[in-house]
Amino acid sequence: MSALLQKLRGLRTEAGLAAPVIAPPASTDVRRLVQFRAKHTRPALPIASLDREVVGEEIAPGLRFTETHADWPSPPGIIDARFARLDDPVHGANLMHFDTETTGLAGGTGTRAFMIGAADWVGERFRIRQLTITSMSAEASMLRTFASWLNPETVLVSYNGKCYDAPLLATRYRLARLPNPLMGLRHLDLLHPVRRRWKGVWENCRLATVERQLLGVVREDDLPGSEAPAAWLTYLRGGPATNLRRVAHHNAQDLRSLAGVLLHMARIP
Amino acid sequence: MNALPDRYASDELVLRHPGDGRTLAQRLTKRYAARITGAFVVPGREGSYASLPDDLPPALAQALRSRGIERLYSHQAEAWAATQSGSHVAIVTPTASGKSLCYTLPVVTAAMTQRAKALYLFPTKALAQDQVAELLELNQAGGLGVKAFTFDGDTPGDARQAIRLHGDIVVSNPDMLHQAILPHHTKWAQFFENLRYVVIDEVHTYRGVFGSHVANVIRRLKRVCAFYGVTPQFILCSATIGNPQEHAEALIEDAVTAITESGAPTGDKHVLLWNPPVVNPDLGLRASARSQTNRIARLAIKSGMKTLVFAQSRTMVEVLTKYLKDVFDHDPRKPARIRAYRGGYLPKERRAAEREMRAGTIDGIVSTSALELGVDIGGLDVVVLNGYPGSVAATWQRFGRAGRRQQSALGVLVASSDPLDQYLVRHPEFFQDAPPEHARIQPDQPLILLDHIRCAAFELPFVGDEMFGTEVTTPWLDVLGEEGVLHREGDRWEWIADSYPAIAVSLRSVADGNFVVVDRTNGRQTIIAEVDYTAAPVTLYEGAIHMIQSVPYQVERLDWAGRKAYVTRTQVDYYTDAIDYTKLKVLDCFDTSDAGCGQAHHGEVHVVRRVPGYKKIRFYSHENIGYGPVNLPDQELHTTAVWWQLAAVVLDAAFEDRQQALDGFLGAAYALHIVATVAVMAEARDLQKSVGSGDGTWFVSADLSGRGQIRGIDGQPAALAANAPFTPTVYLYDAFPGGIGLSEPLFHRREDLVAQAVTLIERCDCRGGCPACVGPVLAADEDAATTPKALALRVLALWVAL
Repeated sequence: MSALLQKLRGLRTEAGLAAPVIAPPASTDVRRLVQFRAKHTRPALPIASLDREVVGEEIAPGLRFTETHADWPSPPGIIDARFARLDDPVHGANLMHFDTETTGLAGGTGTRAFMIGAADWVGERFRIRQLTITSMSAEASMLRTFASWLNPETVLVSYNGKCYDAPLLATRYRLARLPNPLMGLRHLDLLHPVRRRWKGVWENCRLATVERQLLGVVREDDLPGSEAPAAWLTYLRGGPATNLRRVAHHNAQDLRSLAGVLLHMARIP
Repeated sequence: MNALPDRYASDELVLRHPGDGRTLAQRLTKRYAARITGAFVVPGREGSYASLPDDLPPALAQALRSRGIERLYSHQAEAWAATQSGSHVAIVTPTASGKSLCYTLPVVTAAMTQRAKALYLFPTKALAQDQVAELLELNQAGGLGVKAFTFDGDTPGDARQAIRLHGDIVVSNPDMLHQAILPHHTKWAQFFENLRYVVIDEVHTYRGVFGSHVANVIRRLKRVCAFYGVTPQFILCSATIGNPQEHAEALIEDAVTAITESGAPTGDKHVLLWNPPVVNPDLGLRASARSQTNRIARLAIKSGMKTLVFAQSRTMVEVLTKYLKDVFDHDPRKPARIRAYRGGYLPKERRAAEREMRAGTIDGIVSTSALELGVDIGGLDVVVLNGYPGSVAATWQRFGRAGRRQQSALGVLVASSDPLDQYLVRHPEFFQDAPPEHARIQPDQPLILLDHIRCAAFELPFVGDEMFGTEVTTPWLDVLGEEGVLHREGDRWEWIADSYPAIAVSLRSVADGNFVVVDRTNGRQTIIAEVDYTAAPVTLYEGAIHMIQSVPYQVERLDWAGRKAYVTRTQVDYYTDAIDYTKLKVLDCFDTSDAGCGQAHHGEVHVVRRVPGYKKIRFYSHENIGYGPVNLPDQELHTTAVWWQLAAVVLDAAFEDRQQALDGFLGAAYALHIVATVAVMAEARDLQKSVGSGDGTWFVSADLSGRGQIRGIDGQPAALAANAPFTPTVYLYDAFPGGIGLSEPLFHRREDLVAQAVTLIERCDCRGGCPACVGPVLAADEDAATTPKALALRVLALWVAL
């Protein structure tokens, strides 16, 4: 522990703050370190892990890219989006479902996306593309790559994206001094029509509830969204990538569910 | 309610018709000549004017004319010229001198001609609302098309987006800038990209802890502005302080042009310095200030004059409110004529008091310093200060609240028995001639700095060897890295935690460990107040009577760890006052200098403060009717101090015995504390004194007879072995963890301080010592051959430079 840190910690205590600052003992004794970690959940020191496998191809330094294609029984042609209060019909080929995984829910300039998942229709097939950064400096490449997937005709599809994902990405593009590619695009945020229809009918309107009710999706070994920040942070600090891979699974399922819910709702007269 | 009979109801002093300040001042002076130690009139002044500048946009000039403004005061014209030349400007003028036009003109002009944006910061929401109302009127008068909005905690969510995009002038406060705007600066991108002016009003309030925080918020603002490629011009306004330019420059860390001559006309202001009458000539005991304040306020209110009473503490606000309510509000069916106003009330309660005062339904308001600022409460005729507010500047500011157009106003300073008060009230020339004090800030106070570097790192990553203000950030970023909130990658430090740091940083305290007061009367669970961590041990101990709007609550349980005090309504005829002991140990000496036959030092100390019990004091009679124990953990404090020492050989030669030397040290500490508090514009509680051993093994407190009692480190009375080391020391220390920069200027002025303390004691009218110089003494000591006064002078003389 540095002398400055020690001094500051003492002063904080005197000022009536319970010291929330938790750092591991300054020791190389592995046994003590492990004991410390058991007591304090925050992994403050990198523990070199052997499981560092992040899926995908590294398309830029620190930026991983995956792409999968799936058959879908009935791909959409033209979608009547009036259920979501969009008057003009939407061409299925212009849909871009997207979902971000972020470092937290605190909001503001200090929260970032470490994963962007996006899915669209390519002919008869449903394409899922995911970008994951394994270093902070790769963020700009991720943002540029995602921007290249969008065009002025794109119609975004999200679940609570209008209030969460889109403003968060707007902040990230601004901080990276890049133009915001989401600005001006039409946006189908399914949360709102779902709420209008089923609020008070189901116990809540979370995507997990909606996909179960409408699509019969039951997730197995799903990593709860709330654990995503820790999964990435653990990896970033040199820990195992196990949970980061589970985040990618979770994100991909969210995208499939988005598409499923959209199709379901569009077909309801 | 057993209110005392009101002997003044039929007093001939009560003015028959609502009167003016001069008449009331004359009557008081005639009747109470012996109590008035100083009376002067600050004469009204003719205005000094300039024509509207030629380069003002014609529509704005037209709007001003239609609002009756045909010409400017000279300081407004100077401010215009200075802002147009591109410099940062500080304007220092008294209350009601039209200072807002100084910034309105350049800001509105820039908005009209270049669609440039401006950010206004006021210390309170109420001031911000007043300002927007003023701007809207001007805008309407001229159809200027300039949009001004307040942006504060009350702004609804759906309005915020519109304000961010369309506001030409956004009027907010430092807390909102700190917690809501800067951490979301990307949402304000358009605003920042076009930001041309930052207006900061009432900068004299940004001193000490608050000012040190605000200076750091300004560092963060400049950092965010740099990201958007703008360098806004600052316009700062201040009430009268001794170092407006230096203070403005310290806040924004850049050069400013100061404008200090007001061209506004003012009415006569009558000022009375009032010393309560001596009630016990033997002991030199005087009637309490509160009884006198109560009397003057009652007289003024009965004379139909709107009256504002300032009290020094929240408790005193409650006591005085109760006394006035006993007279004016005894009929519960009628609307209240008297209100209390202080921090710790919920905002809506304060807004209600402001509204009622403006509407004229309230005749008397009792306040802490909370009303010192330009909160608009309408015209006032009389201001009574129950005790000296701690600085000449604050005194004038408070008096400045009184005064309507075409009418003379009255300000009365009622001295308390506090030594500082007695010093000032007996030396009116000091008060009249004294230059106002200097405002000081310490932006690099370690806890404050760390908090703001943390917030800044959330807003934008730190890159390379970036500076924050004058500090190299690297070691601080290392600390935040160890804390786990920052992640270092190459030369960049990025925010990584899932938290929003600004929300945990209060600009009003060194760190935010506040206590909440929970009312549990009749099974309720309501939060009724908040109390600073440092004030908690002396106000929220179990058994304490905690007064809110003069309603007494008793503290039943104090949950120290949970930072909660549980109280219930109670009916008692007393209030409580904590007793505390302090011991001190030197950790590090930064600087040492010879002082006469001894030394003066400046350095870091460890302070331990204990509250062993409290006194119960009956209302009205103020007699001590009992004690209660307090069982609280010791309060520890690492802070900075200045201290003076004398070696045992010197003392043994100068004093008959060591007891005499200790008594002399207590008196010297008392006097030094008085003059030091004045010198650095500190609140009395921000600078503390202590007498102890140089090696921290014992300390000295005054016993019941006023004599120095040595106490060991356990707080128990102790005796010194004849051969034990003997290095008594007077300490003056900053009462904040990490210090707040008071003791360093004291060290630099050490020779002045000793000289002033000597003058203070020598010129005191008492014989043997009194609360105005060396502290209270017993009657028996007055005639002793070696009075406490003489002993203190002997100690101080040994420090006078040879």
